[in-house]
Amino acid sequence: MGTTQRLVELGVLDWAIVALYFVAIIGIGLYLKAFTKTGDDFFLAGRRNSSWVAGLAFLSANLGALEILGWTGGTMKYGMFVSHFYWVGAIPAMLFLGLYMMPFYYSSKIHSVPGYLKLRFDERTRLLNAFAFAIMTLLMSGINLYLMALVFNVLLGWDWHVSMWVSAAAIGCYITLGGLLSAIFTEIVQFFLIWAGLFLVSILGLVEIGGPAHLMDQLPATMTSLWATTGDPSQNAMGVTWLGLAMGLGFVLSFGYWTTDFLVVQRAFSSKDLRSARLTPITASFFKMALPFIVVVAGLVAYKLGMDPASGFHLPEDPQNPGKVWNDAALPLLIARYYPTGLVGLGITALLAGFMAGQAGNVSAFNTVWTYDIYRVIFRPKASDAHLLWVGRVTTVVGILLSVATAYVAMQFNTIMDYIQAIFSWVNAPLFATMLLGMFWKRTTSAGAFWGLLAGMLVSFAIFLGFRFGWISGDLARWLTFAENPSDMSRNLWQASWAWVVCFLVTIGISLVTPPKPDSELVGLVKGLTPAVDDGKVAWWGRPAFWAALSLAVLVALNVWFW
Amino acid sequence: MSEPREPLPIWFFVGVILLVYGGLVILGDATNLREIRLSHLHPGLWWGGGMVVFGALFTALGLWTHRQG
Repeated sequence: MGTTQRLVELGVLDWAIVALYFVAIIGIGLYLKAFTKTGDDFFLAGRRNSSWVAGLAFLSANLGALEILGWTGGTMKYGMFVSHFYWVGAIPAMLFLGLYMMPFYYSSKIHSVPGYLKLRFDERTRLLNAFAFAIMTLLMSGINLYLMALVFNVLLGWDWHVSMWVSAAAIGCYITLGGLLSAIFTEIVQFFLIWAGLFLVSILGLVEIGGPAHLMDQLPATMTSLWATTGDPSQNAMGVTWLGLAMGLGFVLSFGYWTTDFLVVQRAFSSKDLRSARLTPITASFFKMALPFIVVVAGLVAYKLGMDPASGFHLPEDPQNPGKVWNDAALPLLIARYYPTGLVGLGITALLAGFMAGQAGNVSAFNTVWTYDIYRVIFRPKASDAHLLWVGRVTTVVGILLSVATAYVAMQFNTIMDYIQAIFSWVNAPLFATMLLGMFWKRTTSAGAFWGLLAGMLVSFAIFLGFRFGWISGDLARWLTFAENPSDMSRNLWQASWAWVVCFLVTIGISLVTPPKPDSELVGLVKGLTPAVDDGKVAWWGRPAFWAALSLAVLVALNVWFW
Repeated sequence: MSEPREPLPIWFFVGVILLVYGGLVILGDATNLREIRLSHLHPGLWWGGGMVVFGALFTALGLWTHRQG
C-alpha cells in the first residue's frame, strides 16, 4: 500500500509550521470548551456569530483540500469550465438561500435541516432525510480521510496510518471540546491559510509565464472560454451543453447542495440574528467567486508548463489509476517549483487544514443530525439539554471512529469512490425539490413530500447504477443526457436533474390528492403564511438585497468577461 | 476568578497565526537552500512581510473588539 515516491521535501522549518497548526487548533478547542455549556453552544455555536464569521465558515465548510487539488487538476482537463462550479454553479443558489429560504429556516429556530422537514411535514420525512444525510456525511468523512492519507503519502511520504489517526484524533479532540464553535474557528483559520499558502502559487506562475494576457494567448480557445463552446457538447472537454450546465449544475446540483446541505447551512444557523443569517451566504458568495484565482489560474499555469517539455514540469502517475497522469498533483508540484523553505510548510499546512476542516465540518453536522433528528426522535424524546450535549460529544467520538473505519474500507476497495461521487445526487437534488415546494407552495402535503423525496432518491440511484453497470445505453442514454457520448460529468448533472424532476412531479401529484396541513400549523414555515422580512429600518448598505444585487452584478461581469 | 462572558473573537486567533507564520516564512526565505524557480524575487520575504502586517492588524482588531464587549 505504501510508496516511497516523494514529490515535495519538507525542511525543519516546514515541519515546525505543520506542527504549530496542530498546536493552534487543539489550543483553540481547549480555550473554547469554557464557552460550550449548553446544547445551543455545542451544536449551534451559541447563535452568536456575525455574518462575517458565519459567512467565512459557510464557505470554508465547502472549501476542502480535495476540491482545491481536484479542481486545479480538473482545470488541466476542462480549462476555464471549472469556473462554472464556483460561479454559475454556486452564486445564484447562495443568493437564493440568503434572500428567500433563510427566513423560513432561521425563524423556525430549528437545529438542523431535517428539523425543518419535521415542522413543515412530518416525522417520517425528517427521519428519511436524517438517515440519508448521516450516512452520506459519514461516508464523505471517511473518504476524505482516506484521500488525505493518500495525497500526503504520495506527496510527502507520510505513513498512511499515522496521517489518518493523527488528524482524526486532532479533529475529535477540538470538536468534542468546543463543538460547532471550534469547527467554525478552525474553518476560518483554514480560509486564511489557504489564501496565504496557495494564492502565491498563481502569482508566481503568472510571473514565470509572462502575465495573464500572455498565458491566455498561448492556450487553446477551448481552455479559455466559459460559454462560447457550449452550443455543441463535442466542442468542449466537459462534453456538456449550455442547457446541461444551466439546468444540471446551475440549478439542480447547485441549489440542491447550497440550499439544503446541512453541512454548510448549519453555519448560517449559528448567526446572531436573522439579518446576519441572511447575509451569511451572500457574504460567502463574494469569496466563492474569488477562488478560481487560486484554483483555475494555477491549473492553467500547470497546463501551459506541461505543454513545454523544457519547462521541467512533469506530472506523476496517478496512484489510483496506474498508467494515467495524476492531474491532482499539479498544485503541490507548483508549490515545490516556486516555494522556498517556510512557504512550502505553509502551503502543505494550508492543504492539511483544508482536509481537516472539511472533516470537522462533516463531523459537526453529523453529530447534530444524529443527536437531534435520530437519537432524540427514536430513543429519548424527552432528553434534557445536558443529556443531548453529552450525546453530541459521544457522537463526535463515535463519528470520528466510523470515519476512520470507512477510510480503511476505502483503502481496500477503491471502487467505493465511484459511488461516493454520485451520492450528492441521491440526497441533495431531490431534497431541493421537497424544500422548494414545502417553502413556497402551501398545498404541499406530508404524504407528497415523503413519497416524492423517496421516489427522487430511488430514481437517482437507479440512473447511477444503470450507467455504472451498462443497463442504460444507446437511445435511453441519449434521451437521458441529450448527448451522443455523455461524459461522467454530463451523466452526473443529468442524473441530478432527473432526480429533481421526479421528486418535484411526484410531490405535486400526491399533494393534489392528499389533505394538506391547516394554515395555522404552517405559519413561519411557508411563504404567504409568514410575515415578510422588513429591512426598512436598515440602511441600504446593510440590507441583504443590496449585497445580493452587487454579488449578482459581479457574477454577470465575470461571465461576460470570460465568455 | 470569574470566566469571561464572550470568547476572544476569531480575528485575534487568525492574527496571531498569520503573525507567527509570517515571521517563519521570512526566516525560511532568508535561510532557503531549496532550488526553486524565481528565487531571485525572494517571494518568502515580501509575502511573509505581508502576512506579518495583516497578522498584526487582525490581532489588534481582535483585541479591540473584545475590549469593546
